[in-house]
Amino acid sequence: MSNRRRIKVLISVIGLDGHSTGAEIVSRFLMDAGMEVVYLGIYQTPEMIVSAAIQETVDVIGISSHASNYEQIGLLIDLMKKDNLNDIPVICGGTIPKQYAEALIKKGVSKIFPPQSTSESIINYIVSSVKR
Amino acid sequence: MKRETDYGYEIKPVYTPKDIENLDYAKDVGDPGSYPFVRGYHLNGYRNRVWTRRMTAGLGSSRRTNELLKQYREMGQTQGILVICDRPSAMPIDSDHPVGRREAGVLGWPASSLLEFEELMDGIPLTGQSITLLGSSAMSSIRLAYIVALAEKRGIDLKEVHGSVTEYPFCHTFGQTDNLPLDLNIKLWLDSSEYIVRNRMHMRSGILSQHLQESGGNNAQALAIEMAMLKELLGLLVNERGLDFDDLALLPYELVSIGSRFFEEIAKVRALRRMYAKMAKETFKAKSDKACQLLIAVHTSGRTMTYQQPLNNIARCAIQTLAGAIAGCTAIDNACLDNAYAEPSAFAARMSLNTQHIVSDETGVTDVTDPLAGSYFVEYLTNNVEAEAYKILQQIEDQGGMIAAVKKGYVQNMVKESARQKQKEIESGERLIVGVNELTIPPEEDDDIPIQAVEASDSEEIAKRMETWKKTRNLPLLKEKMAQLYADAKKDDEHTLMPSIIEAVKAYGTGGEIMGVIRKASGFHYDPLEIIDCPFDL
Repeated sequence: MSNRRRIKVLISVIGLDGHSTGAEIVSRFLMDAGMEVVYLGIYQTPEMIVSAAIQETVDVIGISSHASNYEQIGLLIDLMKKDNLNDIPVICGGTIPKQYAEALIKKGVSKIFPPQSTSESIINYIVSSVKR
Repeated sequence: MKRETDYGYEIKPVYTPKDIENLDYAKDVGDPGSYPFVRGYHLNGYRNRVWTRRMTAGLGSSRRTNELLKQYREMGQTQGILVICDRPSAMPIDSDHPVGRREAGVLGWPASSLLEFEELMDGIPLTGQSITLLGSSAMSSIRLAYIVALAEKRGIDLKEVHGSVTEYPFCHTFGQTDNLPLDLNIKLWLDSSEYIVRNRMHMRSGILSQHLQESGGNNAQALAIEMAMLKELLGLLVNERGLDFDDLALLPYELVSIGSRFFEEIAKVRALRRMYAKMAKETFKAKSDKACQLLIAVHTSGRTMTYQQPLNNIARCAIQTLAGAIAGCTAIDNACLDNAYAEPSAFAARMSLNTQHIVSDETGVTDVTDPLAGSYFVEYLTNNVEAEAYKILQQIEDQGGMIAAVKKGYVQNMVKESARQKQKEIESGERLIVGVNELTIPPEEDDDIPIQAVEASDSEEIAKRMETWKKTRNLPLLKEKMAQLYADAKKDDEHTLMPSIIEAVKAYGTGGEIMGVIRKASGFHYDPLEIIDCPFDL
């Protein structure tokens, strides 16, 4: 990645969920892999995440979710479409059951990483999706 | 594969008397029921009373959670209920808040008003079983007020209610989301604790290591941070609120996270009993034996439950339940097979309760108290985790104690580093997890399990109900109580807010309103998310 701009990733927990450990661990290993990470932390609404993505001109958005209301992620995708941000891939991690994961992929989420996904798989996916 | 304790000490292939040669049974261990209580608090152990076997409940509306509690009762859960609140009410903001309404009933019951509590408890006895309400620290005083108000309505003597509805002010540090500044959380925790102790209620307050351990902390850190919290918080009740330490003995309870490292988990609980007993006696000069006994409940570790091949979690849950039972505890609630997916389904709940009954009724574990005492390995581990915990406790003390260490981010960084370390060990294969880094199968071949979820429409329904209901309240009375609360909250920290919180709760003031008014009086925005304004003219 030396001859091009560092990949910039926004990482956020969505909604009122307080399970931040996953998002923090992912942020840390993405930074260790040479990426720039904008970590928003907890209490982020879909609106706040979109506005941060615009301000920071990020390449990828990573959403962590451990709460059972996945509509928030759907709402984020809707808002991004409205703001013509469809080209920014949204990836999700957390405790998202298969059937909800499938619905979110249909909605426009690029990839969902279930719990215990390796750092390598997440890093590789981000690198390849940004290249495209 | 790594052969080390989870806090990084090498484990040898065999242990002999040499490993515990300095251990003096009478002084360092003692019989069950004798100081320093390593072996537990009762000679007859579970023969007197088997631990409370319970499951967490809470999802969707209060009515839906009420039905679930009744279902659990039919499944054999009769010793106590354990209910967790939803995300908005943990904060607290109300279900009809623009952000709250998106997540009302998510991850718990909408604990925002006495009405919700009345619906939750409809047809469920307030006495004769333990009542435990979990959530966040911020709502603790309000949950306590629910108990007071409902007991009064039902004509029950408050002293007859037992359980726990209040929680330690550091929850937020370890991922239990509320959005109250630490100092205000501490003040309100002192208020609710003082109320419990002065009224001689049989209610406990959770000062828990479970959250920090589930956030990635190791066993030694769990003990050290638990002790640091107890020392500082109980110290404040003695020094600032003038309470006698022996009267405080019935206040704290600890929820320990029990993972799959069987012997280490048992050693951790044994060490904790000794550490607490010593602190009670040496630091707080406890006079009675009772005051040296920390009530300990167990939560099997949700962190260890895997998304991959979820039925494997049944085995994990059984091993952890057995460890918790052998360690000696007053109650167990299980993280169960669908923990990496959602709140427990009825299928998972039954499986979990049955697991506890298999352990209590079929294995013989309830026959003998602290059966692993005297094992060279377990006694060595007990000493080892205790010694390591004392080192970490000293580091926290060097930062100025728990409150200072949290404000500096010291404790948070310690836990984060440990979480990162654990992740690295799994990725490198140093620690093996079946279905994750060994014996894996393709995702499409994975087990299908029933999933319980809350849809956006459920949340909206809860929100709309609150919106409509709020207008039907006795508004002049509510305004009067809120004005009183506001005036009291303006007074200095030693002035307890419990009486005015109870009055406001009885007038059906909501969590968002009550905490909002307290926030406003303390110089903060009424709304923790700074979206809505205070509806009262204050």
